[in-house]
Amino acid sequence: MDPEHAPLIQMKNIEKHFGRVIALAGVSVDIFPGECHCLLGDNGAGKSTFIKTMSGVHKPTKGEIRFEGKEMHFADPRDAISAGIATVHQHLAMIPLMSVSRNFFMGNEPVKKVGPMKFFDHDYANKVTMDEMRKMGINLRGPDQAVGTLSGGERQTVAIARAVHFGAKVLILDEPTSALGVRQTANVLATIDKVRKQGVAVVFITHNVRHAMAVGDRFTVLNRGQTLGTSQRGQITPDELQDMMAGGQELVALEGSLGGTV
Amino acid sequence: MTSATQPTANSDERVKEISSFRNALIRPELGGIVGTVAVFTFFLLFAFDSGMFNSQGIMNWSQISAQFMIIAVGACLLMIAGEFDLSVGSMIGFAGMLIAIFSVTLGWPVWLAIIVTFAIAVSIGALNGFIVVRTGLPSFIVTLAFLFILRGFAIYLPQTIERKTIIGGVSDVAEGDWLAAVFGGKIFTGFFQWMGDNGIIAVFERGTRKGQPVVEGLPMLIVWAIGLVIVGHIILTKTKFGNWIFAAGGDSEAARNSGVPVNKVKILMFMFTAFCATVLAVCQVMEFGSAGADRGLLKEFEAIIAVVIGGALLTGGYGSVIGAALGALIFGVVQQGLFFAGVESSLFRVFLGLILLGAVILNTYIRRIITGER
Amino acid sequence: MTSITKKLALAAAVVAAPFAVATSAVAEGEKYVLVSHAPDSDSWWNTIKNGIALAGDQMGVEVEYRNPPTGDLADMARIIEQAAASGPNGIITTLSDYDVLSGPIRAAVDSGVDVIIMNSGTPDQAREVGALMYVGQPEYDAGYAAGLRAKGDGVGSFLCVNHYISSPSSTERCTGFADGLGVELGDQMIDSGQDPAEIKNRVLAYLNANPDTDAVLTLGPTSADPTLLALDENGMAGDIYFGTFDLGEEIVKGIKAGVINWGIDQQPFLQAYLPVVVLTNYHRYGVLPGNNINSGPGFVTADGLEKVEEFAGEYR
Repeated sequence: MDPEHAPLIQMKNIEKHFGRVIALAGVSVDIFPGECHCLLGDNGAGKSTFIKTMSGVHKPTKGEIRFEGKEMHFADPRDAISAGIATVHQHLAMIPLMSVSRNFFMGNEPVKKVGPMKFFDHDYANKVTMDEMRKMGINLRGPDQAVGTLSGGERQTVAIARAVHFGAKVLILDEPTSALGVRQTANVLATIDKVRKQGVAVVFITHNVRHAMAVGDRFTVLNRGQTLGTSQRGQITPDELQDMMAGGQELVALEGSLGGTV
Repeated sequence: MTSATQPTANSDERVKEISSFRNALIRPELGGIVGTVAVFTFFLLFAFDSGMFNSQGIMNWSQISAQFMIIAVGACLLMIAGEFDLSVGSMIGFAGMLIAIFSVTLGWPVWLAIIVTFAIAVSIGALNGFIVVRTGLPSFIVTLAFLFILRGFAIYLPQTIERKTIIGGVSDVAEGDWLAAVFGGKIFTGFFQWMGDNGIIAVFERGTRKGQPVVEGLPMLIVWAIGLVIVGHIILTKTKFGNWIFAAGGDSEAARNSGVPVNKVKILMFMFTAFCATVLAVCQVMEFGSAGADRGLLKEFEAIIAVVIGGALLTGGYGSVIGAALGALIFGVVQQGLFFAGVESSLFRVFLGLILLGAVILNTYIRRIITGER
Repeated sequence: MTSITKKLALAAAVVAAPFAVATSAVAEGEKYVLVSHAPDSDSWWNTIKNGIALAGDQMGVEVEYRNPPTGDLADMARIIEQAAASGPNGIITTLSDYDVLSGPIRAAVDSGVDVIIMNSGTPDQAREVGALMYVGQPEYDAGYAAGLRAKGDGVGSFLCVNHYISSPSSTERCTGFADGLGVELGDQMIDSGQDPAEIKNRVLAYLNANPDTDAVLTLGPTSADPTLLALDENGMAGDIYFGTFDLGEEIVKGIKAGVINWGIDQQPFLQAYLPVVVLTNYHRYGVLPGNNINSGPGFVTADGLEKVEEFAGEYR
């Protein structure tokens, strides 16, 4: 992380109310290029609402979003995507029945003109897909291999590679590791590391402290719609993070009874 | 995996390498190809000298297959986009009736009647699609409603206007109409005459057409079928829009997240299905010269069966237009061929059921290999 | 090889081994195909099937019954083309829609197949398509005759229960009846559909809304049987004037019980049986009757029901 860099996104005092429910009560986070910013929180802490606000799904009730220094008002997710904020959802990223190359270019299909007709440029799409997958360390049988034949970790990797290829400056990963096994999780974390080194800002949502500690540069904990502050790597221990997520005392007691396994 | 050049290769070593030959063989159309070969082998063995493979016989099952093909192309693309249209059969009856009413009862020029009918039918398709994407109701239910609505109008309109349920006389008013010939005409008549003159195909033995070939040309019905299959195949596999069709049916939420205009795709596919149904309706009306309220009964299921025999997945996101066309061919050849083979015609449904079951099992197996479903 | 085992062999071959040894599908003697317009659900055509089967047995010829499963006449046109392509000696077909069927029939005639029109159609249309003859009951005339009869019995209004409204011949029957009565058909014809429960309820609904209706006319067992139940239910049985086209087991019972005043018997058996006999003799000995054959109408009333009762639904 390079603290001299200007923040890519500044979320200032974001509040989001759903009727009488206050989902976010003034959250401020800065995201810098090339950092992996882990957003931690228990279920219901407001993580989803927060990233949906960042990616244009929700409009904040109060507060300011600055993107590359300018104030932004995203009308819908497409606005955010075209600005360079890409979200990779846990389940809703890939279509298993379709080939990797078709998935990779879904919604951004390359076309070549043959006379007045525009055709899907399969040759280009296949070449790019194979290249990008190789960079991420995935060897495909071929670009027409269906995504369904890939493991869960590989699918996340394809989704991440796709977002980066299409110019994402900020990559929001919504619980990418929550449904994965140990080895696949390691693969995804390795992918995050690669992407970060390319200068992309990664917002990594998780409730698993160990996964966060593995790749995170900075950590922001959300609890009941508020931040409990952002910490640098090395300034905080996993146990402290765990405590902050759970809101302190109760978990300490609970953890004791479970022998420190949580 | 075989590649050792990638130190970070993290592919699952439990995925077996598949030989390139097998890989080339395993395609969505494979079930359709196998079925077509099997069906033709069977009938060549059992019904070769029964008239099934003389010019009239070939024309007969080709036309039946072409009918299925026309509606199967629409149904196929729609099914891949994740939706059904059960109103196809009723649309055939309804659209045919509209043409007859416009041209015969109201006396419009036939080309205008055809164009207006297409416009109305495609609008109804759009309405179907609009209701489906807006309400989020299953298309099964929405189009089932239109199955009744359109069939009802196909009976009510002529009953009210002409006091009968079949309106004839379209042939007379369509005489010389340029657009009517595009649907009801025949091409290559010179070639067929030549074949008749040279004894390649049979000629009429008596009557006013003595000496003319028994098959006088290639009906436009078949030309439309082949044209729609080619266009449908190109759209699906070679265009950006085709990718959207797959995406919309595979997982509409994921597709939306990736910026695919899912609703637009679905509505357009409903319109295309209605268009295909209307093509068949116009071809029928122009060929037979009349529109009947019961035209197209149960055709929606026949279209869906052809599509499923052709390897498409009922839940969407997977399929092939070529496969659907082969499914239609199998369906048509079996339906007509059993008669030639001397099988009791009431057993047709038994055969159809067996073929459907066999095809679905084979297709499921193929699809699992391709897509890694478990 | 008997036909059952042949079929089984074929069925097994389709399922398991398309390469099995071929059995010959060609039998001895002439081959005739009867094509009807009736959907599978119409049980009345059973008599026709039995009629051609009997004639086939007696004459020693091969006969086949074909119909469009849904009653779609465009499908029927294809069946006629197909029958012609298979090169039979003759085709016996209904002509329920001249526009649709005349082309394929004429093509069959021109390619050397002899055609007899049965059941629907008119003698004139049969001549126009080049058929040898017409065997059947002209529908409008039959309806008209029935209308005259009902008028004589004092009927002034009626309900026509039409279960196959998409076929023009059904409307002709109702129109003929109305003309025989000397009234406008108007809204007196209902599209009942083919489902017994629906037919019954529609009849009940109509009679409930129009309690002054003098008579009910049904167009065959499909509509007559549920109508009998409907009249039973609303208590009009025996009171309302009830005439029907065609016969069937329940209709015969109804006539016997006095609920149905008469049934118009077009004697379908003859429509199926006679063409096979005529064609066979024509092909064997070159003899052909000089005129069309009217198989009906014959009015069946409570008198002389015995034979009808015995063979109702089979040959009557």
